[in-house]
Amino acid sequence: MADGDTHTDGNGIAGLLGEILAVEATTLHRRCQACGDEQPLGAHRAYHGAGVVLRCPSCGIVAVRIGVLGERRAIEWHGTFRFP
Amino acid sequence: MAGAAVLERLRPGPRLVWRTVTVRDVVDETPRARTVALDVPDWPGHRAGQHVDLRLTADDGYQAQRSYSVASAPELDTLELTVELVDDGEVSPYLVEELRPGDEFEVRGPIGGHFAWSVDDGGPLLLVGGGSGVVPLMSMLRHRAARGSTIDAHVLVSARSAEDALYRDELAALEPRAGLHVAWTFTRTPPPGWKGWHRRVDGAMLETLGPGPGAAPRAFVCGPTPFVEHVAELLVGAGHRPRDIHTERFGPTGG
Repeated sequence: MADGDTHTDGNGIAGLLGEILAVEATTLHRRCQACGDEQPLGAHRAYHGAGVVLRCPSCGIVAVRIGVLGERRAIEWHGTFRFP
Repeated sequence: MAGAAVLERLRPGPRLVWRTVTVRDVVDETPRARTVALDVPDWPGHRAGQHVDLRLTADDGYQAQRSYSVASAPELDTLELTVELVDDGEVSPYLVEELRPGDEFEVRGPIGGHFAWSVDDGGPLLLVGGGSGVVPLMSMLRHRAARGSTIDAHVLVSARSAEDALYRDELAALEPRAGLHVAWTFTRTPPPGWKGWHRRVDGAMLETLGPGPGAAPRAFVCGPTPFVEHVAELLVGAGHRPRDIHTERFGPTGG
């Protein structure tokens, strides 16, 4: 199946990120470690599998990896995040 | 005490808690979609375009969770979701076919800030919805109407057939308001005698709809992932600034 058929975007996982972050996740800006583009997390592509992977909407590199294990969450962040 | 102020600001707010909600009313919108009106205790209020997470718990403890856009205006005293049936879905068949007033389940939200708009953000607006992707856009238009706004709003809804088209009567009733332009395209079965668009959204359609990139509209595009990708590419190709284009993708089906 093509990528275009399986991904959603950062909006859809805002509830999951909202469990952890005290700031609203979809408007959180991330500067990409690879291409340097700056985009809100809501505009990132979200791929769902065993957890969720957010990818840069410009270059496609992994931006955020979220593992869900019952009540536990493991998150790997890539790039620079601007608060607020 | 700057440190204390920062800690206070970073403390998780009371927003994202699961609340038990009660179904106040259910209204059939189409043969495959229905609006569910909810009483939510201590609902903090939402911005148009935001969504909620909804959680169903079976008697044996099994839980299923989905996200649904809020359909109602923030000004309304009840929270309304419009849910479209997904064949072999896990949650939507229950919501569309089984749910009765008085039933209870859990909701958390409102969620999201990227795909949200209020009259105070200004316009013009360019709203493009595919299928049930029109739901969060309807919240924006209901909000716009509730506030008596005349902000220029150009709306394009793509539906498979007249039977599947959500909110068609309400949009027609809203349209005489100053500044609101609503267009439809029917990709499979248009209504009898239809003389309008009868094809997938394309560049010519968006150009006719307006406003063009020169007006720098705030664009909100919502629907199935392939639809959203297609429309966003058309808008960027037409010269709209990517940062003005807000997208929300449902994925291939939803649930």
